[in-house]
Parts: sequence; structure tokens; C-alpha cells
Amino acid sequence: MYEEDLIQPDFGKRAQNPFRTPDNYFEVLEDRIMGNILDQTKKKSSSSKIIRFMKPALGLAASFTLIYMLGYYSINTFLLKDTVKIEQTDITGTDSLNNYSISLASIDENSLINAIFTEETDIFAETNPDEFLAYLATGLNDVEIYSEIQN
Amino acid sequence: MTDDLQILESLKDPSTKELAFRHLISKYKERLYWHIRKIVLNHDDTDDVLQNTFIKIWNGIDAFRAESSLFTWLYRIATNESITFLNQRKRKSMTSLSDENQYLIDNLEGDSYFDGDNWQMLLQKAIATLPDKQRLVFNMKYFDEIKYEEMSQILTTSVGALKASYHHAVKKVEEYVKLHETRIEP
Repeated sequence: MYEEDLIQPDFGKRAQNPFRTPDNYFEVLEDRIMGNILDQTKKKSSSSKIIRFMKPALGLAASFTLIYMLGYYSINTFLLKDTVKIEQTDITGTDSLNNYSISLASIDENSLINAIFTEETDIFAETNPDEFLAYLATGLNDVEIYSEIQN
Repeated sequence: MTDDLQILESLKDPSTKELAFRHLISKYKERLYWHIRKIVLNHDDTDDVLQNTFIKIWNGIDAFRAESSLFTWLYRIATNESITFLNQRKRKSMTSLSDENQYLIDNLEGDSYFDGDNWQMLLQKAIATLPDKQRLVFNMKYFDEIKYEEMSQILTTSVGALKASYHHAVKKVEEYVKLHETRIEP
């Protein structure tokens, strides 16, 4: 279908090359390219020298990092996990929770209320109102009251 | 030292490698330059791509196994470098994909080493509107007169597909030229 003899376009002026190059471009091209290649090779070798020099230091740093990470990981994984487990058992252990509920359930509600309010009434009951009024009437300050008590 | 085999043999020996590479540059510099120039159009860009191409060749020459001819291998590297370069530039400068080939036209118009007249500029603009593959095929066939079999090895595309690409490219260039040639000032 696409035979070569059928595709013979003639756009004219084919022989003329409209493109040109700077003067002497091709004459100096080998030197420029070889110069670039040798520069690149030098750069490569100098960078590989730096890498060779840095290698032991980088290796040591990497080893220390690895050891540190392993240590940190193992501490986190084994020791701290145990601690958390113990703490968790103390707080959320089902046995201790049950015990706490049982001891709360055994307390009678009325006796609990009495225990709270009886104590307060007892304090006022022990105080004589006359003594209380006499105390208020004295108009003593805190230091004088303290010295009176001490005497 | 002009024979490819001789150059390749000398390149294997570290004591003669540099000299042999100089011979290789000397032998292929112009062909590769013009191949790249037709893809990127601008001289300065071509110079950059050509330098990169020879650096790639230097770095990879030890791995060259002569499964294809040296010429084919060099062309393939030059083509890949050119396409990579253009893609990078297009990504940097283009705002939309539809304007992708405008970069090439701007590149050509801004090139102080283009001496073509209006008609040649029109032809180059027409070629610049082609998709990358068709543009490559058109340039290699129309200007460099490379055989389809050889082109097939360089572009790793079947001969049939290359013929089809060339056919479509010619049609598009003809249409573009017909549409725009009336606007050319005599």
C-alpha cells in the first residue's frame, strides 16, 4: 500500500540546506567533546575518592544508628510493654474491679449518710452555745486566742 | 582508522580508547549533528544534545555488543537524546498540549543559524506540526534518505509501520503547505 515509488514528494529546493552552523564549528568539535568527557571522568573519579574517604565514617555512623535503633526498639518493645501491662492490670483487672464493686455493695446507704452527717452534728453538739457566744464577745484576735489557750 | 570494526577494537584497549573515540567523533559528528538538528531545529540545542549524545556513547561503548551496526546504535542514542530533550523543554515551556509543537516553531524562528527563505520556513513549520514519530520518519526518509530497513532498527519499528508513518507525514505536510503557501510573500 505504501510503496516507496508512490511516496515521492517534491517540496522543491530539497538540495539546499537552510540550516547552517557557526564558523569552524565542526573543526573544534572533537576537542570540545573530548574535553567535556575528560572533565566528567575527572569529576567522577574525584567524587568517588570522596566517597572512598567517607566510607569508613559513614559505615561507623550507620552501625551506631543501627545499634541505637535496635536498643531503642527492644527497650520499647519488651520493657515498656511489660510496664504498661502491669499498670493496665492494676487499673482494668477484672478481679480488682469486682472486689471494689462488692465492697461498695456491702455498705448500707443509710449508714453511709449517717456516718457523714453524724460526725458534723457531733462537733456542734460538743460545743456549748454559751461558751461559743462568750468567745465571740471577747473580740480577741488569733494570737491572743492562741496565748489564752496555751496559758 | 575509518572502519567501524577497527574503531571498536581500539576502543576496547584503554591505551588507545581516547584516540579511537576521537576517530569515532570525527567520522559521525556531522551526520549525527544534522540528524539532531532536524529534530530540535535550533543550533544551540543541537550542540547540547550532540555533546550529551557523545558522552552517552563514551559511557556505553564498553557495553556495545555489536548486535546492530555502530551507525544504527549511534543514531538510536542521538534520536533518544533529542526526543528526551524536546520533551523536557516542552514540559517546561508549554501551557497546553495542543500548542506542543509551537515550541519547535519558536525555536526555529529564534535561531540565528537558519538561513532559509519563506518557503523553507513554511516547510519546516509544516514538519514541526507532525507528531514526533512521523516527524522523525519524515526527516530520516526525505532529507537523510535512510532506508526503511535501517530506520526500522534505529526506531525499533516495523518497516510497514514506518511506510505508513511516512505516507501520513507526507500527506499532512502537503496539506499544510497548500493551506499556507498563498500567504507567503514573493
